[in-house]
Amino acid sequence: MKTEVVGSRALREDSWGKVFGQTKFPADVNLPNQIYGVVVRSPHPHARILNINSEEAMKLEGVAVVLTANDVPHNSHGVLFRDQPVIADYVRMVGDPVAVVGGETMEIAREAAERIRVDYEILPAIFDPEEAMKPEVPPLHPELQSTNVLYHLPIRRGSMEEGWAKADVVVEQVYKTQHVDHAFLQPEAVLAYLDERGHMVVQTATQYAHYDRGEIAHALGFRYSQVQVKTLAVGGAFGGREDISLQIIAALLALKTQRPVKMENTREESFYSHSKRHPMTMYYKTGAAKDGKLVAMQAKIIGDAGAYSSWSINVLRKSAVHATGPYEIPNVEIDSFAVFTNNPYTGAMRGFGAAQTVLAYESQMDLLAKKLGISPLEIRLRNCFQVGSITATGQELTSSVPLDQCLAKIAPYFRREVETP
Amino acid sequence: MMVIECIVNDKKYVLEVDPQERLLDVLRNHLGLLGTKEGCGEGECGACTVILDGKTVNSCLVLAGQAHNSVITTIEGVGNRQSPHPVQKAFVEVGAVQCGFCTPGMVLSAKNLLDKNPHPSDEEIGVALSGNLCRCTGYDKILRAVKLAAEEGK
Repeated sequence: MKTEVVGSRALREDSWGKVFGQTKFPADVNLPNQIYGVVVRSPHPHARILNINSEEAMKLEGVAVVLTANDVPHNSHGVLFRDQPVIADYVRMVGDPVAVVGGETMEIAREAAERIRVDYEILPAIFDPEEAMKPEVPPLHPELQSTNVLYHLPIRRGSMEEGWAKADVVVEQVYKTQHVDHAFLQPEAVLAYLDERGHMVVQTATQYAHYDRGEIAHALGFRYSQVQVKTLAVGGAFGGREDISLQIIAALLALKTQRPVKMENTREESFYSHSKRHPMTMYYKTGAAKDGKLVAMQAKIIGDAGAYSSWSINVLRKSAVHATGPYEIPNVEIDSFAVFTNNPYTGAMRGFGAAQTVLAYESQMDLLAKKLGISPLEIRLRNCFQVGSITATGQELTSSVPLDQCLAKIAPYFRREVETP
Repeated sequence: MMVIECIVNDKKYVLEVDPQERLLDVLRNHLGLLGTKEGCGEGECGACTVILDGKTVNSCLVLAGQAHNSVITTIEGVGNRQSPHPVQKAFVEVGAVQCGFCTPGMVLSAKNLLDKNPHPSDEEIGVALSGNLCRCTGYDKILRAVKLAAEEGK
């Protein structure tokens, strides 16, 4: 197929501004008379706040304001559910914001933040999702679910009994992946101010400006039309800027002080203030017949949602949908769970739940090939999706399934690799 | 407060600075040279790279006082739209720029390499950029851009 677009060379117009260092990221914008905001974050994974004493902080010259949960008009935000506090009075993870300081300089704000005394009632915390999902464990979000299981997606195809009966070889393994931080190179930064109309303007780097706008409006009690989010250059995101980080807090400071507010995370603060990739525990049992054809697969996938739901439902849905990999299996039983714990909250990150399961289903393929005495390439060629294949969710693939062509292309290189000792 | 003198992008400055300030703060806050970026503040990422007396440094690890009597080049002192530096041209040409946050530091590391060693080997290019992290591109195009800039300079 010939088009004017595919295969043509195009220069990225934005590259020029970037190679000259002219492009404005949120840390690069400032306003006269701005104050600087710094967040005090919880060192405890699960705690109730008993008291916050900001007297010593307020004594410091140049401290404009200290805000706590009581200062937030509507203290919740979140992409799927508003289950995350803007400023917490009940802490569900290390890094939850518990107070915010506004100061005349960044140094004053940081010094003041250190002087704030927070009394916590430390509560028992739970870090293992398999433990957390037990019905007798108290839920972290009783308003959402009566247990810590935020989400369960079962997928069924065919008959497991028939599938296992046909299996000549079976591989059963457990796979685990870990938290991963996006570590985008530009730490979160925000400039928030009230404009001449009294509207809240928030300049930041975000993947989701219209959602940020809604959450800022909701938390502050503004109308949507009174909030403007301007996306500046985004210094990497990879999913990590799909949730709110400092946006509402900066806007709240601007509202309370009636002054422009600048906030800039250090790298350490950045790690605390955005989501992580879901760690997953994946129980896999896969069976194949002597001819190398897959006949049955059973998978239980448990994703650690951490303290807040963020995108967990969508992520674990995607894990489930991709659990067989690009292979046709007639008999399938998949159960995917997203479970609340007191770990850092997890959300969107490159692959969005599809990346973790690769480890499991591809390892299963290699192990099955070994048991069957065929090559890892051969087992994939015999099972990969083609036009007409039906996926575990019952979708018939009608076009654009070139996996066999792709494998055929790499086969010569792959064989050479295998043959070379 | 203390007074330092330095030459930044061919211009001489006498600046009153707080001894606690870093060269990065001096460049960004005193001189408004915002092309120098802060990514980690601890010398890991290289986004704040500048050339100081002919050497690339992480300006977040240089105290203002250490920059006294030095000659500094920041990204603002390298090329412009009318006459881009060969490294800048090559970065655009090859598509070595994605989010752009690491780009100023990358360009300065590459420029300083080519100033000293106009025909570097692949390994020398790799070593010269080893202090600059990129989270978007995977480095391949960046290395290719530096190679292209070196070839164009021949």
